[in-house]
Amino acid sequence: MTPASMSSAELSGKAPAQDVALAVRDLNFHYGSHHALHGISLDFPARCVTAMIGPSGCGKSTLLRVFNKIYALYPGQRATGEVMFDGRNILDDSINLDMLRSRIGMVFQKPTPFPMSIYDNIAFGVRLHEKLGRTEMDERVQDVLTRVALWNEVRDRLNAPATGLSGGQQQRLCIARSIATRPEVLLLDEPTSALDPISTARIEELLDELKEEFTIAIVTHNMQQAARCADRVAFFYLGRLVEVDTADRIFTNPREKQTQDYITGRFG
Amino acid sequence: MPHERSHIVSSYEQELEQLRAMMVKIGRIVEEQVGLALRAIADHDESAAEEAMRLDPEVDELEREVEGLVIRLLALRSPMGADLREIVAALKITGDLERIGDYAASIARKAIKAASGDGHISLSGLRSMGRLVRENLGRTVDALIEHDAHQAMEVWHADRGVDEHYVTVFRELVTYMIEDARNIRACTELLFIAKNLERIGDHATNVAERVYYAVTGENLPTTRPRGGSPTRVGLEEDAG
Repeated sequence: MTPASMSSAELSGKAPAQDVALAVRDLNFHYGSHHALHGISLDFPARCVTAMIGPSGCGKSTLLRVFNKIYALYPGQRATGEVMFDGRNILDDSINLDMLRSRIGMVFQKPTPFPMSIYDNIAFGVRLHEKLGRTEMDERVQDVLTRVALWNEVRDRLNAPATGLSGGQQQRLCIARSIATRPEVLLLDEPTSALDPISTARIEELLDELKEEFTIAIVTHNMQQAARCADRVAFFYLGRLVEVDTADRIFTNPREKQTQDYITGRFG
Repeated sequence: MPHERSHIVSSYEQELEQLRAMMVKIGRIVEEQVGLALRAIADHDESAAEEAMRLDPEVDELEREVEGLVIRLLALRSPMGADLREIVAALKITGDLERIGDYAASIARKAIKAASGDGHISLSGLRSMGRLVRENLGRTVDALIEHDAHQAMEVWHADRGVDEHYVTVFRELVTYMIEDARNIRACTELLFIAKNLERIGDHATNVAERVYYAVTGENLPTTRPRGGSPTRVGLEEDAG
């Protein structure tokens, strides 16, 4: 497709007409006096994996942090613009943060299991939002552990501390914990950068399955991973969205020279 | 494509430069082979024919070297964007160039055989077909070396002329055979030569397509304008 045949919507970062889970419009973000994101407009199509790539400090993780308002914990950090989610701008002060975070889950770079049992790691978040009986909770725990391909490895030690699991297992547990509250969107901030290749492959396999049901936004420094896992890829540089397109296009024939320089390893 | 900026990893840049140098080398050798083969036909030059055949294993060896380097680049560098296109194109282009080399060697062999009996057969049609094929191939190799998409597109279109020449030469040679059965042996060799030249033209257009893709990231249409074929004008039936 040539740039001339692209619709203006595609060039501006809007997704083609289909369900959009998150619609970012003219988003600006400040860490105190530092202007970290400049007028970002970008759609996250529902049940697609959107990867965000770019050099350190380009703003991709900041954008992820905006989506579940983690920044609200820190004074001096502020976001302006719009992030539309289910018909509401999540930047509004009236948004219920607990509810928002149950619907937009997040998994971090380093596995962050709670210092409790494997079972409770999952049940903990669910109890905050739902009142389930013991049987229902057992089913929920089994269901999400099965979906992250961890069930067979931990079924006999559900009451053992989660911290005793390997790094890869801990990360899958964290993903299970995130999806246990049945969110619509899953945010992944470099979820495999601390994992070995086998654990990484398992997480990537998992993403393929999860995208049937969830909208996934992933920040990664691993371009091959973005190429393998993502449907769409957004390239950020110095707090600006340079280009967004299908993964295929970004990695074989990006439009922007900055993107080309970055993906081919010529960034200086 | 040679990029305005160099890779952060200089050994990657060196490997890409090495690949480009190998492509120049194989391109130029194949071009020379075709030139020698054509001289063998036109001038009944046996030494040119032998030289064209002698170059063939050199091209085969270079093709293997390019394959090895491409596999290494794919495995170790995980190329992206324009680098990926250039590397994959190089792999496919060497395949086409190697085939062109084979056809040139085959033409050289047949030229020696045909020379004994083509004394009164006019080779002017075959010569001008050969000139066009050689010219197109030369421009294709230039486009490859210069990373010139525009030139690649032009040669891609120019192959139509080769197809048209082929139809004419085919008709001429069939006429010679109908006129006098003693021409059949030489004309058969010359028909094969014409067919080989036509195939060289096709492979050159393949190379042009890959150059165009490597440079622009866009594909040329899957069908290209063609200049007819003996079958389409009913000549192959006549020949049978």
